[in-house]
Amino acid sequence: MASKFWTQGGSDTEEESSDYDSENDDLTQTDDPAQTAGNRYLTVNASDSDDSDTQKRVVRSAKDKRFEEMLVTVDQMKNAMKINDWVSLQESFDKINKQLEKVMRVMESDKAPTVYIKALVMLEDFLAEAMANKDAKKKMSSSNAKALNSMKQKLKKNNKQYEEVINKYREHPESEEEAEDEEEEEEETDDSEIEDPTKLDISDQEGVSEADEPDDQESGWMRQMTKKDNLLAKQFRDPKAATWEKVNKWFKEIVAARGRKGTGRYEQVEQLAFLSQVAKTPAQKVEILFSVISAQFDVNPGLSGHMPVSVWKKCVQNMLVVLDILMQYPNILVNDSVEPDENESEKGLEYTGTIRIWGNLVAFIERVDIEFFKSLQCIDPHTREYVERLRDEALFLVLAQNVQDYLEQTGDFSAASKVALRRVELIYYKPQEVYDAMRKFTEQSEDNGEEGEESKVPEEGRAPTMFIVTPELVPRRPTFPENSRTLMDRLVSLIYKHGDERTKARAMLCDIYHHALFDEFSTSRDLLLMSHLQENVQLMDISTQILFNRAMAQLGLCAFRVGLIAECHGCLSELYSGGRVKELLAQGISQSRYHEKTLEQERLERRRQMPYHMYINLELLEAVHLICAMLLEVPNMVANTNDVKHKIISKNFCRLLEISERQTFTGLPENVRDHVMAATRALTKGDHESAFNIIKSLDTWKLLKNKDSVLEMLRANIKEEALRTYLFTYSSSYDSLSLDELTKMFDLSEVQVHSLVSKMMVNEELHASWDQPTRSIIFHEVEHTRLQALAFQFTEKLSILTDSNERAIEARIGGGGLELPMRRRENQDYAGATGGAGRWAEGGTAFNQGRQGTSEGRSGYGGGRASGMGQGGGYLRDRAGQARGAGGYSSQVSRVSHMDGLGRMISLNRGVRV
Amino acid sequence: MAQYDFTPRIAPNLDRHLVFPLLEFLQDSKLYPDEEILKSKIELLSKTNMVDYAMDIHKSLYHTDEVPQDMVERRAEVVARLKALEEAAAPLVVFLQNHNAVQELRADKHYNLQMLNDRYQIGSQQIEALYQFAKFQFECGNYSGAADYLYQYRALCTNSERSLSALWGKLAAEILMQNWDTAFEELNRLKEIIDSKNFASPLNQIQSRIWLMHWSLFIFFNNDNGRTQIIDLFNQDKYINTIQTSAPHLLRYLATAFIVNKRRRTQFKDFIKIIQQEHHSFKDPITEFLACVYVNYDFDGAQKKMKECEEVILNDPFLGKRVEQENSSSVPLRDEFIENARLFIFETYCRIHRRIDMGVLAEKLNLNYEEAERWIVSLIRGSKLDAKIDSESGTVVMEPNRPDVYEQLIEHTKGLSGRTYKLVSQIMEHAQTLATR
Repeated sequence: MASKFWTQGGSDTEEESSDYDSENDDLTQTDDPAQTAGNRYLTVNASDSDDSDTQKRVVRSAKDKRFEEMLVTVDQMKNAMKINDWVSLQESFDKINKQLEKVMRVMESDKAPTVYIKALVMLEDFLAEAMANKDAKKKMSSSNAKALNSMKQKLKKNNKQYEEVINKYREHPESEEEAEDEEEEEEETDDSEIEDPTKLDISDQEGVSEADEPDDQESGWMRQMTKKDNLLAKQFRDPKAATWEKVNKWFKEIVAARGRKGTGRYEQVEQLAFLSQVAKTPAQKVEILFSVISAQFDVNPGLSGHMPVSVWKKCVQNMLVVLDILMQYPNILVNDSVEPDENESEKGLEYTGTIRIWGNLVAFIERVDIEFFKSLQCIDPHTREYVERLRDEALFLVLAQNVQDYLEQTGDFSAASKVALRRVELIYYKPQEVYDAMRKFTEQSEDNGEEGEESKVPEEGRAPTMFIVTPELVPRRPTFPENSRTLMDRLVSLIYKHGDERTKARAMLCDIYHHALFDEFSTSRDLLLMSHLQENVQLMDISTQILFNRAMAQLGLCAFRVGLIAECHGCLSELYSGGRVKELLAQGISQSRYHEKTLEQERLERRRQMPYHMYINLELLEAVHLICAMLLEVPNMVANTNDVKHKIISKNFCRLLEISERQTFTGLPENVRDHVMAATRALTKGDHESAFNIIKSLDTWKLLKNKDSVLEMLRANIKEEALRTYLFTYSSSYDSLSLDELTKMFDLSEVQVHSLVSKMMVNEELHASWDQPTRSIIFHEVEHTRLQALAFQFTEKLSILTDSNERAIEARIGGGGLELPMRRRENQDYAGATGGAGRWAEGGTAFNQGRQGTSEGRSGYGGGRASGMGQGGGYLRDRAGQARGAGGYSSQVSRVSHMDGLGRMISLNRGVRV
Repeated sequence: MAQYDFTPRIAPNLDRHLVFPLLEFLQDSKLYPDEEILKSKIELLSKTNMVDYAMDIHKSLYHTDEVPQDMVERRAEVVARLKALEEAAAPLVVFLQNHNAVQELRADKHYNLQMLNDRYQIGSQQIEALYQFAKFQFECGNYSGAADYLYQYRALCTNSERSLSALWGKLAAEILMQNWDTAFEELNRLKEIIDSKNFASPLNQIQSRIWLMHWSLFIFFNNDNGRTQIIDLFNQDKYINTIQTSAPHLLRYLATAFIVNKRRRTQFKDFIKIIQQEHHSFKDPITEFLACVYVNYDFDGAQKKMKECEEVILNDPFLGKRVEQENSSSVPLRDEFIENARLFIFETYCRIHRRIDMGVLAEKLNLNYEEAERWIVSLIRGSKLDAKIDSESGTVVMEPNRPDVYEQLIEHTKGLSGRTYKLVSQIMEHAQTLATR
């Protein structure tokens, strides 16, 4: 990115300055006093607009647009001047002032652009001319004259702000010193570009040396050195003469300058890179390279921006070189826990003991990964750049692989597991096809890569002072096993063995995700349950929670693909319960209607975003979730239409359904939601055919690998649920229903229908039984007669009455109300003698005698001593009463057969519970 | 049938010696060629000290009288080692054989050790030797001796690890001697230790549990009460988890136990759920049978599975134990299983039907018409079934057993009067206390 900018920026600057050159030449040559000022400025502006044309290539569109607008206005002004129309001139002037604001905002500069200044100068001159020409003034129409006067005042006021700049400008076009002018122009254009927010990172460096082009380091390095650089180079002109001390001294000096004001970041990288080439011992080289890498990380100071890609690549190369050296000299140990001896790195080639170097490979790797991740977050996923950037993934994988191998060799397994996790996190979300593509890509690029390296080698050779030549020991190409599962297994088992808690949890989640991706539902479910992550994930950091959500979403999709509707719903319902799916999966910022996020929150959220290529398709996810909810909820809804308190399986779905039912007219389905709602309407009527067709018409199915089998599964499920719904809805209208009829109606096999209906009978959802000889279902009469219903109501009221009586008595005399302790204190003397004391003393012991007669199983109701029951759980009584209220009468309500999927998943309890 | 043979899955969780009964059974059932079994027996024996036995098998396998040299050498080696160990343990053995002396031992271990040390010069070395000796005895196939020594060793030993392995040894010895009652006691002792002990890693504990469960199969299917006990043991949370995670094949035995055991209905429902959960990882005719009856209500399938189950039971070393009676041999468990399975099918079938054709029913139950009729009549008479036979149309008609509305009403109001009465008495009592004040 920087390189692109710099090369272009640079050339642009030259071009521009050359423009000015010629322009100024023109000016001096044709500085004819007879020429009208207007004409003169006309040429100036003409050249200026040309200028802006060239600029168009670099400047971003918003900025470009503003500039253009401004130029148009300037043109208008010129036209107005020609015809001496002060009214329109005044309008244009107001306009240009407004535009100026915009331009300044776009460019984030506090300096007015030259175009504007020129316009001001031009206006001033013209105004002066007009004022001087009294005759003309007299001839003017009254409105024109008025405009002229107001213009004069406005301009005066306005120009005060820009006095300095205007003066400068006035000086320069007239002065003969072109060089100065050029410089200033250059500065100006530079400034305007630097202020562009996307290129902020270079601005700091600007102050130090404008000419220092960091990217063409080989060729431009010597030429464009600052004073210090020059010094450095001079020091090492004769590389043979350089000693370790000398190098070390310079090294220390440069490192000390790090972070200090006025230290150019690029410059520092350059200096260190140069030093690394002249390093005398391998240890020193490693040490310096570490600093180079650190300095490279420093290049981008902000948290939100990412490291320039070219720097990133160089950083990876540096890391590889470090690894080369470390492999070559196994006696060099890298450690960040001990502060090494000052002159540790002096020990040369012949030294065989261990040399300790301060540094942390894992931290570097992680930082490199983070920068990679960040760059993917920032780059627009629809551009070519993104794809290019994705290819660099292979580069990182090589590095990570090498570091991991190295760490394993040195026996630092916990660090190796951290690196392994980084690799896992790059692989886990890739389906086999994508994985294959990546593998092929790396294999193909072998040739290209080699060329690249060859071209690199001579470069290094050209650098005169390569002392420690490092052969490329570590492989520069990643090796991938055929199957991504194999790779995952290898990495994950390493992590499980050696990783710390967080690493293990993350690896586990990736593992679950990966298994789910490969349609191994039971394996990934078992992993999830055995790891107990569901319970612990709330305590983990947000990024892990996001990973957990992603894993759950993928698990849900997996369950759907293999046809486990209830499980699927269990996995997804929680994600959709709050309506914040985007936020939960970190796939885009969701706008909440009710509370605004602060800037800080939003920035944090932006930093958590998943890169685009890792997205789980939200449309598919929503479709899957809603379809599952539909399949579960519709029969449930129909079965319990009369029961007010019936359990709702998916609140989200019910809400949506309610909304859609409220509509007066329902149009053709457009989005996923509409489709599912339309299907629901069909399903409620038992019309499985159209329900399936509506679902089938969704676009998202094309994202599924095994689309046909999934749709087939869906069709079967819809048929079954349609049958159930039909039976629930219309059972009261039938006395008997033949099996053949049902099979025909729902296009199911006899066995299926039989099994389904039997299941409903056993679960007491359907009050019916089979008549085997005639192969039909006989429905029972379960409705109560009016009298019976009334009797039930009556008993219900009676028991409520008793309940409230009990509660009233409790509150009065023996219960656990708040006033009681006070009363007790009053009565303390004799309380011991009476029954009340006994009750109090033992109030805490629960007297749990379930009553046989009533089905509530309420806890024993204690009377005083007189009742013979001795002690009653004072406060327990209240609670029992409440429980009774809830459960008392629902015993005859048919049990809801569908189990809550999630509840079930959790209650499987298959974990290693010891 | 070989795919339903669990020997390869069970054997790794057993002691070497415990595998012999399984191999014997396999030899009888003729599921595999004789030679293979004999070879595997030798393989098995090669790591034990039962060299003589190995020699015999070798002879019968290759039909020679010659024995390979290494076996002979090994025999000598074993004998020598036995001698050495015997000598080492001799003082203690002598002491233990002396009844009078043994009575001096008390419940206090430290006192015992002290006493032995003081009076008989028997120290920890000899005790250790006793353990080694017992172990060697066991490996030589002298189980009763091993069991005795291990019992005594446990009384003297202070090292809990060693004590645990002695207990395992004792259990194995008892099982091999077919002392089921003692074995069951040992089993319980071991279970307690496993459940209460702190293991280095949960994995070890699980492994121990798996072993325990596998070993217990010997006991449970040879013991009268075993079918209840196996449910008690396996159906505990910890153990069922272990089965699900690591040894799903044990579900077969648990399922069988549930089927032949009529009393465990409450746990049965949960068990059906577990089977459903595990059906992706474990399938067996017996569990599939349960799934057919209780999950899918596929009675034709259930009937087919029933036949398969019969085969499975006959070929399972634990389930298919034969009882020789005079001149006929029978497999009691099979008969019981079939009877109960039939009952299961019938029960469920009746629950969802109002009228059933007798012919179809007979077919579903694997009986002929008369048998079926007799069977049903006996059920009705035993008031296990609320139904009547309509012999004119050849059907069984179920009596509807919906709850009576009036009964429900009475049920609802039953408690009210009692509660009101208590309420009144409470008020009275309260009034009294107020009055006395």
